[in-house]
Amino acid sequence: MKKVNYEFRDKLNTVLGGFAHNYCYQCGACVGDCPAHRFLPEFNPRKIMLQAIYGLEEDLLGPDSLIWNCTNCYNCYERCPQEVHPIEVIIALKNMTREKGTQSPTVENILQRVNEKGVTVISTEMIKKRRAELGLPEYKLEGKEEIEKIMNS
Amino acid sequence: MQLMPFWGCMIPLKYPQMESAVRFTMEKLNVDLIDDNRLSCCPDPIYFKAGDKMKWLILAARNISIAEEKGLDLITMCSGCTATLCEVNHHLKEDASLKKEVNKKLKEIGREYKGTVEVRHLVTVLRDDIGLKKIRDSVKVPLEDVKVAIHYGCHLLKPSAIMKVEDPLTPTILAELIKATGAVPVDHKEYLMCCGKACKDVDISLNMTRAVFESVEESGADCLGLICPTCFDSFDIGQLRISRHFQKDFQIPVIYYFQLLALAQGATIEKVGIPYHKIMPKSFIEKLQPEPIMA
Repeated sequence: MKKVNYEFRDKLNTVLGGFAHNYCYQCGACVGDCPAHRFLPEFNPRKIMLQAIYGLEEDLLGPDSLIWNCTNCYNCYERCPQEVHPIEVIIALKNMTREKGTQSPTVENILQRVNEKGVTVISTEMIKKRRAELGLPEYKLEGKEEIEKIMNS
Repeated sequence: MQLMPFWGCMIPLKYPQMESAVRFTMEKLNVDLIDDNRLSCCPDPIYFKAGDKMKWLILAARNISIAEEKGLDLITMCSGCTATLCEVNHHLKEDASLKKEVNKKLKEIGREYKGTVEVRHLVTVLRDDIGLKKIRDSVKVPLEDVKVAIHYGCHLLKPSAIMKVEDPLTPTILAELIKATGAVPVDHKEYLMCCGKACKDVDISLNMTRAVFESVEESGADCLGLICPTCFDSFDIGQLRISRHFQKDFQIPVIYYFQLLALAQGATIEKVGIPYHKIMPKSFIEKLQPEPIMA
């Protein structure tokens, strides 16, 4: 028998966007229009909200969690009659994986790139050449120290 | 009209042809782009936001504060940048305590978010400020032979309460803008599908993208038209992957809206970087530019 893990829920409640999971009454409006569900039926935003209500930390934040299959399309945000905004709860859960060390490597790469370069795409010689061919100025980013300061505060 | 362009990362550093096309079209429409080299990554609404939502808010607010300094609206050309910057602008305008928290951090770098400008995707500026008539008047070479299947992508329209562009279930903005170039928008059943970029399971992305390609093929369109470099990435270079995976050689050229508009306004295919696209059948290039035209 499953027991509700209130400690986990309390924690989720404090993460930006996480609290709204409390309003979910499991109607399933988020499921019908979810493109990730259409192509991978195991991915089900209603079930993810139920797991949040039960506080099933391992299912949600573990290395095999399905949350990483969310397309970020915002259809569930549009459909939810309770303004749970399932996508935002999923993003809150993703934020929680960092503390656990089970976050996606892509997330870590992107954070690191922004920290180092201020942008997510690394400039290549080919692109520099294309910019010149197109008559565009060389790409420059100023104020990187501001970004670094925010990233490391 | 003066606007501050927010180029983001993908456009200037991966698909500079999009930047070239936007600059060309804005010049033709007498819009002054006031560039600012201090604008960083928006930051990205998928991975960065999933890693550290608080820093995501602060860095986005920093970008918006740069536009506020000059009193200009911040105009995005990528749906991802639109998602981040519109959403953050909305939340910080609505939530005074969140704004205070963000500003505490911005103060450390001598900045402040005030909430005095708007963030919008450039296509809404075309529709609402410049207007379809002025766009039509700027067209020299109507692209009458080009049938365009539209891919709206997710983040121009949703969340609708924040984006305020139009009903995300019955959008018309891109069809109207395509018509203004003389080209013909073509209906297809998956026009509201996601590009699948964000899903971890490769099978989801592959099948989702294939669904869009099959839908475009069925529609008889010549190309897929869109407004986001991330969607472009999924459909252009992604098409090679799909074709290999499903052993089916899709040949659907993908085109960024401002490339179409620039071509209609007389730009050469080189000026808008059409030769850089991975999927670009010769027959389609001939439709885009039947004879050489001096820009």
